[in-house]
Amino acid sequence: MATTIASINITSTDLLSDSLSLSAIATLTGAGNSTGLTHTEGLGRKTLASGHAQYTLFDGTNRTADKAHKIYLKNLSGTAAEYFLITVNGEDMGRLYAGDWAFFPWSAHDADNDIKIDPSADDMTLEYMLFTDD
Amino acid sequence: MATTATLTLASADIAGDPVSVTKTATLTKAGSTNDLDQSTGLNRVHLRSTTNKVLLAANAEGDNLAAKVYIINKATDASLYVTVTINAQTIGKLYAGDFMFIPWSQTDTDADIEVAATNWTASTGDIPVEYALFHEDTDFLTNA
Repeated sequence: MATTIASINITSTDLLSDSLSLSAIATLTGAGNSTGLTHTEGLGRKTLASGHAQYTLFDGTNRTADKAHKIYLKNLSGTAAEYFLITVNGEDMGRLYAGDWAFFPWSAHDADNDIKIDPSADDMTLEYMLFTDD
Repeated sequence: MATTATLTLASADIAGDPVSVTKTATLTKAGSTNDLDQSTGLNRVHLRSTTNKVLLAANAEGDNLAAKVYIINKATDASLYVTVTINAQTIGKLYAGDFMFIPWSQTDTDADIEVAATNWTASTGDIPVEYALFHEDTDFLTNA
């Protein structure tokens, strides 16, 4: 059993009239148990060189449904206007702008439950990682 | 005015070499370097419904403006999970202690973020969930 820790800190000294400091630590475990996630696909990068068409980053067909998959994404662009539109099974989740990251669970509940990315410009690079008990 | 979000992923033994990823994002408005300036603050609800409940209602004026959503399942029982959906499309399950941080486009007014305590029963007790929205849409004045 492996031990993988994910932590988040959200801070601001001036968004509100009081300082904001929000933090959480999660030990990534299997679905419904306390056994640490056992697999990762490592840290990867995908550059979509031209045409900036939608690309399937994670294919639901290749995953067991309702495991405790966790996905990390980061837009490595340095141009503020450039974003990746993230979709799950065709539903827009949101736009990941330059420098933004996302971390979320993924159910992969059926073959259509792909995670797709659609860059707003050519030659954009996304960094990604998957942790799973699959 | 700046709000930052830092994620750290670390494991000494999930792979042959250690995993250590730390990334910080400054939360900015869509397509600019101007900081996000709106927030719902940190909210807490206690879920006891196995059917979807609206956590954050999409707002037409928020279409493709920058918005970041933080949700955490504060349950301590490993078996208790919260199913998170956008426009009825399941994103994933947050097990006890798990959190998520995602961009939210509010592409249409059906793009509500909903949660369900899918395996809740009267004997499991409520599932506490905390959430916060950081955004730029000044028309987003109320929670669901």
